Amino acid sequence: MSERNDVRETELRNLMAGYIDKMVWPTLLLLLVAKPAHGYELIRALHEMDTIEGDLDPATVYRNLRRMEEDDLVSSYWESGAAGPARRLYQLTERGELALHLCVPLVDSRKDSLERFLHNYSAVSTDIGKEKPPNE
Amino acid sequence: MNKIPLLILHAGALQHPMERFAREFRSLFPEVEVRLESAGSRACARKLLGGYQADIIALADPLLFDELLLPHPVQKYYIFATDQIVITHQTGARGSADINPQNWTQILLRDEVSFVRSDENLDPCGYRTLMVWQLAEKHYGVPGLYQQLNSKCTAAYVYPKSLDLGAVLQGREADYAFQYLCTAKQYGLDYVTLPEKINLSNPRWAGLYGHATVEVEGKTPGSKTILIGEPIEFAAAVPLNAPHPKEANEFLQLTLSHTGQRILEECGLVVY
Repeated sequence: MSERNDVRETELRNLMAGYIDKMVWPTLLLLLVAKPAHGYELIRALHEMDTIEGDLDPATVYRNLRRMEEDDLVSSYWESGAAGPARRLYQLTERGELALHLCVPLVDSRKDSLERFLHNYSAVSTDIGKEKPPNE
Repeated sequence: MNKIPLLILHAGALQHPMERFAREFRSLFPEVEVRLESAGSRACARKLLGGYQADIIALADPLLFDELLLPHPVQKYYIFATDQIVITHQTGARGSADINPQNWTQILLRDEVSFVRSDENLDPCGYRTLMVWQLAEKHYGVPGLYQQLNSKCTAAYVYPKSLDLGAVLQGREADYAFQYLCTAKQYGLDYVTLPEKINLSNPRWAGLYGHATVEVEGKTPGSKTILIGEPIEFAAAVPLNAPHPKEANEFLQLTLSHTGQRILEECGLVVY
């Protein structure tokens, strides 16, 4: 049983590893852990959180939400209520919550590699642009 | 055996998805005959308000439900998709070899170039076009741009619904039209996309869009309503007086289902 869970966790970690660079999935999971939300709210919150690599148009956000639903990281339902407007609400699934936790070491590792890059750059940056000595 | 007639009253921009839904629905419920009727969304809403009976009403602006139809004849509506305004044209339209998101205002204002829009009193695409022009004036920093575009697009170039505009372009009666991206895709038209800050597509810029306002005819004859710019959305409902509520609810469920999402996306809409 535990072995099967380990396999599932590894699969999920591998899935999320493919979405760390742009940070769209981790950020959507983070937003949804607080409360269910509809796409309109999520688009605004994504920009406010400012963790995404590059610009995101609404079509891309909704496509990502549908992919996440297919991967059972989020589920969606229509707001219930007797009157007025109803929108599709997205909520985190149990698997989505696990995915969010699995993202943390992946993001941490990415952060470390970016810091290593900056450290190595600063070590050589003073030499960049300087003329190379003539060949002996 | 007589089939159950199910009347779908919908925005012209939803013509293709509604045709697809109708086909899908007929295969699931062969005892039902789906009938489609399209008009500008404001015209659809006014029709329903005037006592017309439809089983489904699907509009290109959810605010029309709040403004005209709630709490009767509609109690609840579902917001299911979004889109953006683009400038459509046929290959070979005057200036089309050069037009782009930066210079479209200059191209459209050339003497030899003509462009069309839909009527703001009948169709949300009409008032959204006027909002785009207002936002463009600020975005590009060209004082008087809105007035220039509006003066050039005289009544002869204003049509009842956005769907009519594609036929106008295909008949070479005008060079450019302001339409939804989904209609451009549905009718295979070329198009120029506009910056997100003016194309009414992104909730991120809702605050900016709110600076645009358009006055339209109100709920009662002679009255006026001021509409404020918002991101584009589409919504649908089963009216309280729907003649066939059971079948209508099945049709609505299809629209909102994953199958419905796929159909809407294939028709060029951004689906919730």
